[in-house]
Amino acid sequence: MKVMSNAAILVRQVLAGEVWPALSDRHAYRVGPDGQPFLLPGMGGVTLGVHCGDPATGYASDHLEPGASVRHRDPAANMALQFLTCVGNQVRVASGPAAGSVGHVIGQHAYVLADFAEAQAADLTAGDAVTVVATGQGLALAGHPAIVVKNLDPGLLAAMPGGTGADGRLEVHVAARIPAEAIGAGAGMASEYANTDLMGAYQGLGEDLSLGLEGLRIGDIVAMADSDHRFGRGYRDGYLAIGVISTGQCMLFGHGPGPSTLMSGPAGAFRLVDDPGANLASWLHPEPAAAGPAAGPAVSAGEPR
Amino acid sequence: VTGLRLVAVNLLGVVEHPGVTTPYRVDRNGHSYVPAGDGGIVLGLELGDSAFGLVADHAAPGACLVHPDPASRHALAGYACIGNQVRVRTGAAAGAAGAVIGKRGEEGRVIVGLAQDDLARMRPGDEVAVRACGQGLRPPGLPADVTIMNLDPGLLPLLPVDLGAGALVTAGVRMVAPSRLAGNGIGRPAVAWDLDLQLPGPGAEGGADVALGDLVAVAGIDARYNMGYRRDWVTVGVVGHGASPQPGHGPGITPILTGPASALRPVPDAAGHAGLTAAMLKLQ
Repeated sequence: MKVMSNAAILVRQVLAGEVWPALSDRHAYRVGPDGQPFLLPGMGGVTLGVHCGDPATGYASDHLEPGASVRHRDPAANMALQFLTCVGNQVRVASGPAAGSVGHVIGQHAYVLADFAEAQAADLTAGDAVTVVATGQGLALAGHPAIVVKNLDPGLLAAMPGGTGADGRLEVHVAARIPAEAIGAGAGMASEYANTDLMGAYQGLGEDLSLGLEGLRIGDIVAMADSDHRFGRGYRDGYLAIGVISTGQCMLFGHGPGPSTLMSGPAGAFRLVDDPGANLASWLHPEPAAAGPAAGPAVSAGEPR
Repeated sequence: VTGLRLVAVNLLGVVEHPGVTTPYRVDRNGHSYVPAGDGGIVLGLELGDSAFGLVADHAAPGACLVHPDPASRHALAGYACIGNQVRVRTGAAAGAAGAVIGKRGEEGRVIVGLAQDDLARMRPGDEVAVRACGQGLRPPGLPADVTIMNLDPGLLPLLPVDLGAGALVTAGVRMVAPSRLAGNGIGRPAVAWDLDLQLPGPGAEGGADVALGDLVAVAGIDARYNMGYRRDWVTVGVVGHGASPQPGHGPGITPILTGPASALRPVPDAAGHAGLTAAMLKLQ
């Protein structure tokens, strides 16, 4: 049965941000796994042509952030935006030629990452104002006291398959399972900020770097083994963290496609169901990529229920 | 590059004052705690002491040096090497000599050891000169695919490291940790950042003890540039600071050797290992 939650008592808060430019410095280059210098786009601005359901890797890109990358100019307001925004929250463009367009948050990466349909994303650029209807922090699941939920819009939770099983465990559909060896940059950080880079998904960069994760897609729901994200992000034997792949291809070593945390708890509190369709594109993306998984019923996450 | 001479650069460090924005941090079990010993001057903690012995967060055996200018601070962290000589320039301990023990990442910190009575006379804001030398070190006979970093050339012969005859480097270590325990520091540059190991510590979960100054190896980590996972690779570092209650953190190693397992072999000795000592650095 669908999991019961405290969604009815969560607040919704209107937050402001702007599409943030891509950033660089005069030294231009960063270094790859073998010291190879690179300068590649993907982080900041509006990254086009990659949406939920599309492959996460295989691009000439670094820290690929699909869609719009959003921050607030004021440092404290920015941290509030980064911490309070949840995956599935609605994002509305408030200025510029794309004003009125509606997208959804797919994760955090020291930017709030908002995916829009390609035609709308094409009209967006740095400096455009966006409005985020933030809701989800504080979400708790009835009957699953060992599981801590983070960064998850209750509307998205309602749309995801799975729920409370007959044995009391929480059934979660996942597109991939991640070994603990893959956990890269992001370990030791707050679970409400940025994401956890996964190593072992460097397409074309050497077999000895591979952990078999080259098939990840943007929007995939994944289960990270031996990861405890309840109070920050760290290694803990026998725990699981569930996340959504919100960033893609990296050339920078120790980095890679990254899941934003959605929930975490002891492995025994979950029942994982391997499901290639466990991807945000199945549930909330307005125009699923043609090559992506079959679309499920569209939901308007963040709207009153 | 082999055959080129190293340069030494005198840098200026300033003894750090600990900084907090909220009194509480959250530990791996969800409990709040006040972080004591995270940076600045820590008294009564020395090389050879357990990394798990104090109620503290990232406590280091000595003083942490920073610089008020961010770029200068990154240069200080990047160029300083373990074993480099330091000398206190201002304050009540002016003239006291010590040595670099390790470094920490993020904005950059250099950990320096001094005699306890010198440390006791120092205060945050004191200036300390660091004679930075070692980056670029490539001793003759070092196997081509092994890299040395963060190490004063004069300290190398004193450590339990055998460069062998050009084919295999061996390093005596306290333990070999699997890469899945590597936390903060992954994906960051090994010349300017330490690698925290999420070790359980002695006691409850039955882990082994680790001492400050120990050499510890991590299997499956390549630290030539940024630190990250590479199969059949080994990184050896010196434990420079102690444990942390925060998830994803733990005793931190400053990397000194990294190479393929075929050319760099750690030799663990849980009971008898001796790594970096105060005597080597003439801290008494």
